[in-house]
Amino acid sequence: MKIIEMVRRFLLIDLLEGMWVTFRHQNPSDLVTEQYPMNRPEISDRFRGQPRLVKDENGKLLCTACGACALACPEKLIKVGSLRDPETKKKVLTDFDFDLGRCMFCGLCEEACPSNALNLSSGYELALYTREGLELGKDQLENGIQGKVYDK
Amino acid sequence: MIQSILRYLHSDVTPGVAGNLFWVVVYVLLVFAGISVGVIFMNWFERKIMAHMQVRMGPMRVGPHGLLQPIADALKLIIKEDLMPANADKIVFWFAPVCVVMTAFCGFIVVPFGPTHAITDMNIGVLFMLGVSSLGVLGVIMAGWASNSHYPLMGSLRSGAQMVSYEIAMSMTVVSAVMMTSMATGTGTLSMIGIVQAQLQQHTWFAFSFFPVGLTALGVFSIAMVAETNRAPFDLPEAESELVAGFLTEYSGFRWSLFFLAEYAGMIAVSSIATTLWLGGWLRPFPNLLGGKNWDTAFSLVPGITFVALAALCLFYFTRMPSIRAMRADARGLAAFGGVLGVIGIVMLLPGVRVRVQDIYWFTLKVGFFMYLYIWYRTTFPRYRFDQLMKIGWKVLLPISIGVVIMTALIGVRQELLALVWR
Repeated sequence: MKIIEMVRRFLLIDLLEGMWVTFRHQNPSDLVTEQYPMNRPEISDRFRGQPRLVKDENGKLLCTACGACALACPEKLIKVGSLRDPETKKKVLTDFDFDLGRCMFCGLCEEACPSNALNLSSGYELALYTREGLELGKDQLENGIQGKVYDK
Repeated sequence: MIQSILRYLHSDVTPGVAGNLFWVVVYVLLVFAGISVGVIFMNWFERKIMAHMQVRMGPMRVGPHGLLQPIADALKLIIKEDLMPANADKIVFWFAPVCVVMTAFCGFIVVPFGPTHAITDMNIGVLFMLGVSSLGVLGVIMAGWASNSHYPLMGSLRSGAQMVSYEIAMSMTVVSAVMMTSMATGTGTLSMIGIVQAQLQQHTWFAFSFFPVGLTALGVFSIAMVAETNRAPFDLPEAESELVAGFLTEYSGFRWSLFFLAEYAGMIAVSSIATTLWLGGWLRPFPNLLGGKNWDTAFSLVPGITFVALAALCLFYFTRMPSIRAMRADARGLAAFGGVLGVIGIVMLLPGVRVRVQDIYWFTLKVGFFMYLYIWYRTTFPRYRFDQLMKIGWKVLLPISIGVVIMTALIGVRQELLALVWR
């Protein structure tokens, strides 16, 4: 055993093996780098990115304005505004404020939602030049970056 | 004047030997430009190969596949502010990079790119190259001293110790190669051209003569030359984790780029020593196995075919470029580059040109192999500790190289004696 090891050391076999490893990886098809603006990364379904208010197939918001998300939010950054419809006696959503600047994308709001109406979608290009733009209103949550919706 | 210029074209000696000033100047400029372009190309090549070995892409944005990246880098370095520390020794600080570059380029005076393609042929060629290239240590130590700062000083001290200790092992292996030149003729030579011609006469590259001895000598030399040029895994003078950037710490901008240029020129210089001494210099591969006139012609076509193949590769990647507006200029540039390479390749296929160009081609190819090895080592091996470095130099490489010298002498004497007896 010792002789084999000595021969290996003498002929620099370990070094040659290491060099073979690096040589093998030169194959361009092994590349894992993405060139971002030209190649879009494949985002996982469970990625938590741009928040969205989900609509049903008729284009109506699923949100019932219950406020569970606002209660669940550890940062208290969601504000749900609603009015009571006098005829149907149901709450109607008027505002939905989501301060993305304070959001840590924990996904607790999404989990608390009873009607799957709020979704942290796969949209990820959220950088802006001002902080004001990070306070998303109802419009932006409905029609902002359209990421893929993942059902729980 | 013009007659003497034209007369040189019919001679078959180097311009330095012919004493023709005009052609000497032309050759000096050609070699200087060639080495500089080679360094620029090496920069791109190294970043690209290292990136691919580490499963990255490397430079991709400046030009097609980052081909113009080294030019952009050079431009940035030249524009950058040239800082000089307030407490630095001004004159020495100024002179250190100049000294390093001068010594790195001086060695190329005797490098034979072909039987006539050298600036001059000195009868002490190898000695001159070793001497001049070891003067580079002086520049490094000057840089470390003049910076008047801790890290550069430590780095340059390490560098000095390292270069001096590996010089010995290197010179010993060179001695063995020089001894081999005396085999056929009885008298050895130190002239670079003479050494290659000795290999031509003996019908073997010195790497393969006296079987394990020549190969061992090449192995020892190729390890020692990595340490000599301060490259990974022996790049202790620049060990970032310990010494910031070693003797380069206080240098920036153009001065730094001079050190960079000198480092790569030094790499090319020692690689060309190794090529000349052991890999047959400008000689084409397989002269015995595939000898004869037809094979000579076939091998002389190889340089042109290489360039045409490179052109075809460029044009192939031109068709593969993404067809978006941002990449249009890149794609056209790549196609134009491929076209230029193709034209060069076709010119090289002409019978008059290919005879003269093939020497340079084979020499460059062999040097390129060593340059690839440098990059390969750098990606593969982690850096040695300083005591390990010294141990390898003094306790491993030096005894082996002395053994190589003794073995060469013994085998050589034995062969001469046998030849005497048989006669």
